[in-house]
Amino acid sequence: MRLARDLAASLLAAVRSVGGYTLFAARVLAAVPGALPRPGLVIAQVYNTGALSLVIIMLSGLFVGMVLGLQGFDLLQRFGSEESLGTAAALSLLKELGPVVTALLFAGRAGTALAAEIGLMRATDQLAAMEMMAVDPLRRVIVPRFLGGVIAMPLLAAIFSMIGIFGAQLIGVQLMGVDPGHFWSQMRAAVEFGDVMEGAIKSAVFGALCSLIAVYEGYHAVPTAEGVGRATTRSVVIASVIVLLVDYLLTAVML
Amino acid sequence: MTPELDAPARAVRDAVVRIRDLHYSVNGRAILAGVDFEVRRRSVTAIMGPSGTGKTTLLRLITGQLRPARGQVEVDGQDLARLSRAALFALRRRMGMLFQQGALLTDLDVYENVAFPLREHTRLPERLLRHVVLTKLQAVGLRGAWRLMPAELSGGMARRVALARAIVMDPQILIYDEPFVGLDPVSLGVVLRLIRRLNDALGLTSIVVSHDVREITAVADHCCLLSSGRVIAAGPPRALQASDAADVRQFVHGLPDGPVPFHYPAPDYAAQAAEVH
Repeated sequence: MRLARDLAASLLAAVRSVGGYTLFAARVLAAVPGALPRPGLVIAQVYNTGALSLVIIMLSGLFVGMVLGLQGFDLLQRFGSEESLGTAAALSLLKELGPVVTALLFAGRAGTALAAEIGLMRATDQLAAMEMMAVDPLRRVIVPRFLGGVIAMPLLAAIFSMIGIFGAQLIGVQLMGVDPGHFWSQMRAAVEFGDVMEGAIKSAVFGALCSLIAVYEGYHAVPTAEGVGRATTRSVVIASVIVLLVDYLLTAVML
Repeated sequence: MTPELDAPARAVRDAVVRIRDLHYSVNGRAILAGVDFEVRRRSVTAIMGPSGTGKTTLLRLITGQLRPARGQVEVDGQDLARLSRAALFALRRRMGMLFQQGALLTDLDVYENVAFPLREHTRLPERLLRHVVLTKLQAVGLRGAWRLMPAELSGGMARRVALARAIVMDPQILIYDEPFVGLDPVSLGVVLRLIRRLNDALGLTSIVVSHDVREITAVADHCCLLSSGRVIAAGPPRALQASDAADVRQFVHGLPDGPVPFHYPAPDYAAQAAEVH
């Protein structure tokens, strides 16, 4: 009996949370045109979420690329086709690893920062103060941060993939001795515009999702120290799961 | 029933805020249960009462941050419940509010915090804007601190900056939520004097929520004492101090026991002591 009641309660909570997200997303999107006349606010957030995440993205991209170089070489060598290493690395990075790993790192680095910042603004009455100054916090605080994330994510994913290919080349060509001519020419022949677009679409969608989840969790944080901490954790957990889930859906649709 | 003790002599008669039969509850628990009172133009009105009697809730109802369950809140002749969001925002431009901890925007320095409402609502040229902001900072004595960040300010300074920000749009109504909490005696004296001086110099109407009886009664024209969601006394500070109603006396003179009991309701002592797990 109690189990059934608990199940019903958590189901209700889940439905309510999906509804809350949908309504919030609609309000944010409706407020986007109002925020456009002030690009300065958005650019500051592209810097905050994008530029400040560059180091972690570039380092991770390099190591992921290097691992791809090693594993790819080992795998392809078994079929005697190690010249295809360039193609394999580029396709896996552009279509899959670039957008997904970047989104996970983005949720961890930029998403948590966003959720904590907005949660603290809520806890210290800054959002209420804006309301009292007849300034809509949604337009002034939330939308610029959301747009900043939406713009920054695809750029970060592109940088990640580029550095990753460089890392794969570093291991495959410089260390394992794959012929550089084969490495690059096969990559150029095999990778099509559609592959690049697939990655771009994915990273844009992930950027929107991660940013939305981060600002939602921060905006709805319980206004205490504990509440802000919980909102930060929730933002990264939810974003990570959603990114992987949506990645599957998008791949299934676009393949 | 509100025992109206005395009509204040100085205050002009017309009301800026008029509250009638106001009810508000959270999760079925009544916070306000039939509050009636008025705030007269150009007066300093203190809303006092023990912690948890709904003072801050009352402020949030007056500013339209909350909607009442029943009853009416009228500000400057407008019924808040009937206002659209845009009309409410327009009304709020004529109100300034000082939050408990100041609520300064932590990513902006003192100058930009005070300039914030101007930048959001006006297109003033930078020179004029600077002039306005510096004047307001001068009024609270913090012109020299204009480049400090909120984290570098003491509690009292932060509240004075927030006060400068609250008056930067030249509001007609200024609302203070617990402005004395956690202030040292010097800062407290400064804030107290500012409340009176700003009210008189700028021709404002001030509403101060506080439970610091001695401090606030020194500057208020009119006091309103809330207890368990109702107004139990209203009138000039002196009348409240002279009142011999038990609940008013207990609060005004800070008596530890009275109608508000010292002890939280508890079961029989012997029974509770015998209960060992």
